[in-house]
Amino acid sequence: MCDSCGCGDPKVISFEVRERILAGNDRAARHNREHFRDHNVVAVNLMGSPGAGKTAILEATARALGAKARLGVLAGDLATENDAVRIRAAGILAESITTGSACHLDAEMVHQGLHRLPWRTLDYLFVENVGNLVCPAIYDLGQDVNVVALSVTEGEDKPLKYPVMFHKADLVLVTKADLLPLLDVRLHTIQENLKAVMPRPDMLVVSAKSGAGIADWIDWLQALSLPRTRASTDAAGAGQIA
Amino acid sequence: MHEYSLVQAMFDQIGEAMKQHGAVAVRRVRVRIGAEAGVEPALFRTAYDVFRIRTACADAPLEIVDVAAGDELTLDRLELEVP
Repeated sequence: MCDSCGCGDPKVISFEVRERILAGNDRAARHNREHFRDHNVVAVNLMGSPGAGKTAILEATARALGAKARLGVLAGDLATENDAVRIRAAGILAESITTGSACHLDAEMVHQGLHRLPWRTLDYLFVENVGNLVCPAIYDLGQDVNVVALSVTEGEDKPLKYPVMFHKADLVLVTKADLLPLLDVRLHTIQENLKAVMPRPDMLVVSAKSGAGIADWIDWLQALSLPRTRASTDAAGAGQIA
Repeated sequence: MHEYSLVQAMFDQIGEAMKQHGAVAVRRVRVRIGAEAGVEPALFRTAYDVFRIRTACADAPLEIVDVAAGDELTLDRLELEVP
């Protein structure tokens, strides 16, 4: 109550909060990231439109890298287990996160999904986000890198139309390159558009169907785990000296 | 339409602040939304108006500060009614 004049009005306090609205998600993401670092798991957040070819990329990745590294996938979708079933058929571990009506994955959903996957044993964990070029971009999941799949059939100007998503990308995979002869889409224009929105533009042109560019994608992935390998080797070396 | 989940997250934050201060109602909410936050202020407001019905925020106007650059998305300031 206001106790200065006796009017009986309730007392109102006003103060600065200045906290990120996603602070709760950030905390959960930090928790996931610590888990991944502790167990040397490279976590890749794979985003893109519905139908951009995210699952096909993971199938191609399974074929090219599955024998050399332990791969796992958490596949997010509004409904169905279809993606996880496809990925498992390609020979790698996969679990679904069905979001109901949610248009994105958040760090807590990933955390819950991890409980159903032996993720500690993995070299790479791919989180296949819900097909959407808007919402997933703002949720940190604890990943090491963001990869956006952009199919050539989506046109050249998607990076300019959805700048937040592409701004957050560490790599853009231009997918379905085998269709290029049928389309009036120029890779050069896609590249220019990516340069306009990505702080460090990095793009690989791939086709999961023909296998073109997949080796470059695998090289890119393998380069991600190098610094850790070096760090753990250094740590082992230091241990021996001590 | 992630604006709905964002408003939900903000309601959790507001609930925490109310608990901390022993507040009974919210009088005013101010958020800051950066141009590159990936959040549409108008949709955020719509989501807020849907969610606040029959909550402690029912009578609390939402003030949105549009920040010209950056990806800021913060619960900036609160006005709470305390007994």
